[in-house]
Amino acid sequence: MKKEGASAKTKFFKPQTRKSFITYAMVIVAFVVMQILSSGGYISSMLTGLLVPLCVYSILAVSLNLTVGILGELSLGQAGFMCVGAYTSAIFSIVTSETIENVWIRFPLAILIGGIIAAVFGILIGIPVLRLKGDYLAIVTLAFGEIIKNVFAALYLGYDSKGVHVSLKSLSNLNLEPDGKLILNGPQGISGTPNDSTFIIGAVMLLITLIIAYNFVYSRTGRAVMAIRDNVIAAESVGLNITKYKLVTFALTAFLAGCAGALYSHNFYTLQASKFDYNLSILILVFVVLGGIGSIRGSVIAAIVLVLLPEMLRSINSYRMLIYSIVLIVMMIITSNEKTKTFISANTAKFKALFKREKVKEAE
Amino acid sequence: MALLEVKNLGISFGGLRAVDEFSITIEKGQLYGLIGPNGAGKTTIFNMLTGVYKPTDGTIVLDGKNITGKNTIEINRAGIARTFQNIRLFKDMTVLDNVKVALHNHYKYSTFTGVFRLPRYFKLEKAMDAKALELLKVFELDDKASLLASGLPYGDQRKLEIARALATQPKLLLLDEPAAGMNPNETAELMDTIRFVRDNFDMTVLLIEHDMSLVSGICEKLSVLNFGQLLCEGKTAEVLKNPEVITAYLGE
Repeated sequence: MKKEGASAKTKFFKPQTRKSFITYAMVIVAFVVMQILSSGGYISSMLTGLLVPLCVYSILAVSLNLTVGILGELSLGQAGFMCVGAYTSAIFSIVTSETIENVWIRFPLAILIGGIIAAVFGILIGIPVLRLKGDYLAIVTLAFGEIIKNVFAALYLGYDSKGVHVSLKSLSNLNLEPDGKLILNGPQGISGTPNDSTFIIGAVMLLITLIIAYNFVYSRTGRAVMAIRDNVIAAESVGLNITKYKLVTFALTAFLAGCAGALYSHNFYTLQASKFDYNLSILILVFVVLGGIGSIRGSVIAAIVLVLLPEMLRSINSYRMLIYSIVLIVMMIITSNEKTKTFISANTAKFKALFKREKVKEAE
Repeated sequence: MALLEVKNLGISFGGLRAVDEFSITIEKGQLYGLIGPNGAGKTTIFNMLTGVYKPTDGTIVLDGKNITGKNTIEINRAGIARTFQNIRLFKDMTVLDNVKVALHNHYKYSTFTGVFRLPRYFKLEKAMDAKALELLKVFELDDKASLLASGLPYGDQRKLEIARALATQPKLLLLDEPAAGMNPNETAELMDTIRFVRDNFDMTVLLIEHDMSLVSGICEKLSVLNFGQLLCEGKTAEVLKNPEVITAYLGE
């Protein structure tokens, strides 16, 4: 009966709740520290310029982890969904920049639109693609990501008094009136996006993403998704609709990637579709794998470390990529090797025990 | 009226006739055994009953409802739950979550409610926790609720699979070799559990088993399958004395 006290405590504060709250606290602390440092002028302008992209990459990593870690399917189309979100939200902002002047209304709307349209793309692509498994799914999502990128790179879009003009051929095919406004200029991309993204909005979005991700995992839907990951046949036998939950996860991943895309596009005045190539998708997958598949907090940490590292090492330019790759390999060994994992957990346990004993001694 | 009525069930894989003209009638509350040599088609019959395979001929009627050819999910909702010959747990999830997954279709809230933690989320999660713990208690697994399913000893994994199947609130429970790999003590304990489940959950049980002590100990009726065909059926004691069954399966 001595366990009663402990169980009452865990009931009040479940381990999963504690895990998520620690992550939220870490993000908030990091935000406050960076905010203080940047307002005091202690950090370089290069790092200041990285603050919003850091949020973007963290959101992308967390959202991809839902598909890779929780659903257990390999998707390489993350950059494609981000591209959809970036472009649609930027178009929305440019078109409405004169009608909706308040940034605090326009930008959240733009983010939401970017996310929703990316989610629609996610569902449309997911319906045929999620029938595939493993490598095949990875290949097809990679192809879809590239298709999305290339379509946007070839798209000309403008509007004038006669209405909206769209062309996939060339600028002259658009037949814009002299008073018309060009929004998308093919491979040169989109320009004139209002710079609405700030570090505060980025940090808040990252926090919302984390809340959504954690709450999703620890809900009825998240349980169903993890059950499908662990054993499809058993999941079917207890009456779970496999296709539905795969689609829900895929759509949520696409939605969050679209939101991140919106944050990204509003950070730059001009944006080309060529940025959203498969290298970006693979980079995000690297964040997820090195942060620990299924670990949401790990995704954020890996994204931040691996975005900052190359920038920090700029001073030793010629060795930069060498150190970066060594760090990648070391992290890979630590996070994926069963032996190193047990070694680390055993030693942290020892360390904790040591710490506890000292505390007891102090109390005595 | 019988709970499960299967008539002339048959399935072919290419040129192979795996099960032919199989019929079985199970009354409500019965403990029914399905035995036979390896490869006789016992698990294939389970797979047809649960919709994993679509039978090529025959009909399956559960509680007056024709469920022939329905998919796994529809059949589970109609009221058949099963366990597997090779244990299929959700191994990276906790014991408690394994059972909560199976409560999925009885405690419903939307993804939106879950993500934004509306009051309904807390209410239903609490109810699910209580229900799942109550089920785990029956199998003496409640103190292991927070462990990962893969960390359980073998016997407990078998029990958890039964608990999970029961959580879908079925009318008919199919157990595929529940005593496989258990020692005599564990088997005896399992027999008590199966009886307890039948009595306390108003359950009807159909089980496949090779362990004759379990079969003769708890099954009221038996069907014997050989080369995909019904060899004989009837009361357990009589079936086990049948000379045909002895030559085909039990050995002299």
